[in-house]
Amino acid sequence: MAEKKIKKTFIEGTITPEFIGDSIAKHSTKMDIGAHSIFLGQVRNDVINGKEVKAIEYTAYIEMAEEKFHEIREAAFGKYSLTCMHIYHSIGKVNAGEISLFVFTSSAHRKDAIKACEEIVERIKSEVPVWGKEIFDDESHQWKVNKDH
Amino acid sequence: MEINILTFGHITDITSKAEFRISEVKDTDELRIKLSELFSAIRSIKYSIAVNKKVIQSNTVLTNDDTVALLPPFSGG
Repeated sequence: MAEKKIKKTFIEGTITPEFIGDSIAKHSTKMDIGAHSIFLGQVRNDVINGKEVKAIEYTAYIEMAEEKFHEIREAAFGKYSLTCMHIYHSIGKVNAGEISLFVFTSSAHRKDAIKACEEIVERIKSEVPVWGKEIFDDESHQWKVNKDH
Repeated sequence: MEINILTFGHITDITSKAEFRISEVKDTDELRIKLSELFSAIRSIKYSIAVNKKVIQSNTVLTNDDTVALLPPFSGG
């Protein structure tokens, strides 16, 4: 059930709990689904050299990122038996405590959804050209570095 | 011969522009050298290069009007 057209992934600002809730609700009509797996990335208020992160401002090489998201989607559909898949990533400013990444996979049985979701998140972190600028409470900033855990 | 350069993240802070053109570089190794001359602070940054949206793994010949993106380590999610 591969999707051919390039879907829009970026959402301006945070991904709200209402949006996530609505996404889940929309699947109630797809009764062949037996399992959903969801990953939510939340902006953390790290303290670095005594200064607290109050927000992350995301920028991206949008054209290349959309192609990468498409490639990651196609690969996951090819490898796992998925009924559907949704990926949303914030662009612009997201405050600490708010959601900036939403990956949602669904399948008949749990293992496909769980494994696909994890693999998609890992690939997004390492392959998609998105950058997070950590903004501190005194308005200074530093560029975020992703860790592999 | 002229190519289009796109910068992102930390690299845009250094170059102060998100897009500019550069001439007389025949491949990506030459481009790296030229960028280090133009922007000395770029030397301390590890970055990869995408030519026409594809990340390259080794030195790549550039042709007129290629779009070359300078990509610092990704930090999405």
